[in-house]
Amino acid sequence: MRKRNYWLWVAAIGGYLFLYLPLVIVIVYSFNDSRLNAEWVGFTLDWYRRLFQDEAMLTAAGNSLFIGLVASLVSTVLGTMAGMAMHRRSTVLLSVLVLTPIAIPEILMGVSLLIFFVLLNFTLGLASVALAHIAFCIGFVAIVVRARLAGMDEALLEAARDCGASPAQAFRHVTLPLIMPGVVAGALMAFTLSIDDFVITFFTAGAGTVTLPLQIYSMIKIAVTPEVNAVSTLLMLLTLLLIVIASRLSPSMLRAQQE
Amino acid sequence: MRPGAGAPAREAQRNRWLVGGPPVAYLLVFFAAPALIMVLASFRIPGEFGGLAPLFDPAGEVNLTLEAYTRFFTDPVYAEVFLKSVLYALVTTLACLALGYPLAALIARSGKRHRDLLLLLVILPFWSNFLIRIYAWMILLGPQAALARTVNAIAASFGAGPVPLLFSPFAVLVCLVYVHLPFMVLPLYANLEKHDPALLDAARDLGAGGWQRFWRVTFPLSLPGVYAGAALVFIPALGIFAIPDILGGPDDTLIGNLIKQQFLETRDWPFGSVLSIVLTVAALALAALAAWVGRRGVGRGVRA
Amino acid sequence: MPGRPFLRALAVLAALACLPVHAADQLHLYNWNNYIAPETVKRFEATCKCEVVQTYYSDNEELLAKLAAGATGYDVLVPTSNAVEALIRGGQLKPLDKSKLPNIRNVDPAYLNTPFDPGNQYSVPYAMSTTIIGYNEEKIKELGLPTDTWAVIFDPKYLQKVKGRVTVLDSANELFAAALKYLGYSANDIDEKHWREAVDVIKKAKPYWAAFNASSYIKELTVGNIWLVHGYSNDIFQANQDAQAAGRKFHILQGIPKEGAVLAVDNMVIHKSAPRPDLALMFINFMLDGRNSAELTNLIGSGNPNLDARKYIKPELLKYPAIFPPKELQSKLEQLKDLTPAQRRLRSRLWTEIKAGR
Repeated sequence: MRKRNYWLWVAAIGGYLFLYLPLVIVIVYSFNDSRLNAEWVGFTLDWYRRLFQDEAMLTAAGNSLFIGLVASLVSTVLGTMAGMAMHRRSTVLLSVLVLTPIAIPEILMGVSLLIFFVLLNFTLGLASVALAHIAFCIGFVAIVVRARLAGMDEALLEAARDCGASPAQAFRHVTLPLIMPGVVAGALMAFTLSIDDFVITFFTAGAGTVTLPLQIYSMIKIAVTPEVNAVSTLLMLLTLLLIVIASRLSPSMLRAQQE
Repeated sequence: MRPGAGAPAREAQRNRWLVGGPPVAYLLVFFAAPALIMVLASFRIPGEFGGLAPLFDPAGEVNLTLEAYTRFFTDPVYAEVFLKSVLYALVTTLACLALGYPLAALIARSGKRHRDLLLLLVILPFWSNFLIRIYAWMILLGPQAALARTVNAIAASFGAGPVPLLFSPFAVLVCLVYVHLPFMVLPLYANLEKHDPALLDAARDLGAGGWQRFWRVTFPLSLPGVYAGAALVFIPALGIFAIPDILGGPDDTLIGNLIKQQFLETRDWPFGSVLSIVLTVAALALAALAAWVGRRGVGRGVRA
Repeated sequence: MPGRPFLRALAVLAALACLPVHAADQLHLYNWNNYIAPETVKRFEATCKCEVVQTYYSDNEELLAKLAAGATGYDVLVPTSNAVEALIRGGQLKPLDKSKLPNIRNVDPAYLNTPFDPGNQYSVPYAMSTTIIGYNEEKIKELGLPTDTWAVIFDPKYLQKVKGRVTVLDSANELFAAALKYLGYSANDIDEKHWREAVDVIKKAKPYWAAFNASSYIKELTVGNIWLVHGYSNDIFQANQDAQAAGRKFHILQGIPKEGAVLAVDNMVIHKSAPRPDLALMFINFMLDGRNSAELTNLIGSGNPNLDARKYIKPELLKYPAIFPPKELQSKLEQLKDLTPAQRRLRSRLWTEIKAGR
């Protein structure tokens, strides 16, 4: 048994290395004294200084964070409901509605949502972007929650109800804690998808709305300067901090309950 | 105080509506309606200067045609690009599975204190911007970096010329795997986390070796997680365009790039819609096929 | 349930986000990124006592697609000539009130009164660039390659010396234009036979190219991984600046092919749904002033159609033929015309064939 754990550790460490090698470069290059993200020239804090004076970039980062939080929250709730519904009795409509946003090319979805919003005379802005993000995040959460529910012991649910619990109580005290790792995994994915989305955001953003990907991708043809590395590094740290604080405040939310 | 015979069924029905209703309603409004607009667009004619031509021409006739569909089905080049995309997506999914499974397993087996941290560490890199992560890979795979130099040194010792790592299918695949890895790890973790260690102990007591325990107990139980992860990697990977755009070679054009081109440079939205519809239907069909195969496989695994 | 007050606060914030932004005095400028100097924006904001809200696109087609789908709220756009043509013919622009644009007299008449906008009813020129050859001086000289002809990008006899070190733009319009020029035709040639000849030329050269790249080629050129590019004059100028700043031993130079090249003129236009056309006209007139116009050229090395700007532009920039083409060269530069849907479809089909590797 120790031997197998050894291989597991080696493979997993390899996986983490693969994940973090580029990230190390991202962070290190945020201190690079060169406009380009291509080669190490020298150390400087200039990019961080510039970032804190760059109102446009900071606003964009703030917008991305805000939309990310809203979108991941709403899509996690709706996605969990969808995942549960799919597990209990999956209809074709539900499966198609949940899976298709994942499959459909982003540019099609972006253009079609823009046309749709224009038809409804809906003012484009942060809200239109958030609504769009929620639409494509629901599917990811639903699939993870459904995978978590698959093979879950129905007997536990039955037992809860036989003891006189209402469906709401059974959900809150039995189902929810059991599926929590799936819900959390889904929420993390939804947040990741939202703060990094470009194509759909490009089409659904209003005339004054800039998110971080919009700001950054527009630099793609000139130079994606290390200021972007700086804002990414800070955004990562900030999000990590937020999650750590949130988990301290409500420890039961993040941890799966031990049976 | 048991309620009447019909009431539990009705209550269950009502609960299903309450649970399934809101997401379905949301998706019908903010996904299905817009998508249907574009499905209709696939039958329309491109606008003279872009966009779509008006639905009703000056004579009052409806401007609908199957032209875009016929063009797609009669031209083999699109099928070729599709197949290439499927191949790339498949390789990406398998690589993500191979790399992601140990990660997910490690996290699932860790103590409660470390588990959250390890999970966060998997997703943390992906809160930095996509573009600079790709640029970081361009640095790692560039001709002057350590990796390329090692590979070229080895190639030179065999008398072969320098091997381009950047602007090549290899670069595209490495980045595809990198970008999709968390979407394999997270669903797998969610599934592996609930595996009862007692089952493995029982297997060991019965004399099963390490590999056997994995293959006959853990893996079959994790299949729903595997399928979820595979779906969340394969399906998005099919439509990706940004990675081949930035570091692909001259031959690395995938269907996602073609679709983007139709909406932008070519301003042929109907044809872009056709390509998108075919891609979506193909992706859903493959997912349904995998799910069907999986349902049969799970049954067999559990019985063993 | 824990977190309920947090959820409520989030809901309120979300609701606030749905409220329309108070117009205040805002000019919505939809522009390329880094295509206006920050000082210029600040000076305009002080002049008009308004706020300039900038959003960006990185491709004309992105702009066109977004507007075609019905997006509104933008005041000033900065499309390239062929996109201006599409916007005018699509009825997307507001005519300019010339009485508010006295500074238009500063513009070089050679760039006014264009075929796609006679009389400048809708557009005024803003900045320009040419699509030419960029090269690593040291490496190319070492290999003895010419730098004044498209042959160095298309002819295998030259390409074999730089195999894997060449990139071309990932744009069907630009690459076809270069190939057509190489073959001796006009960049706006619409003869299908000539297009197929261009496809053959491209296919023969493709195996030697490292990539079709419009976004990261400048970086690779500056670092020295790529030695020869088909690219925009501004970008190549910038690459040299970056290379010198990074202390590299080589220079990156602009090579103007003798067969001719594409000239891209970006124009200021007002969208038909502009919320503040008054501010838009004020802005356009402001940017037509020589001093303001010159700041962009000094920043990124873009070409400038404004004669009044010459006295504010750094003298060394005036000497670059790719930025300020002399008369003999001007006749060989062509602006790209917009294509008809049928032509676009054919070009797209040929482009797919090229990129799918058949």
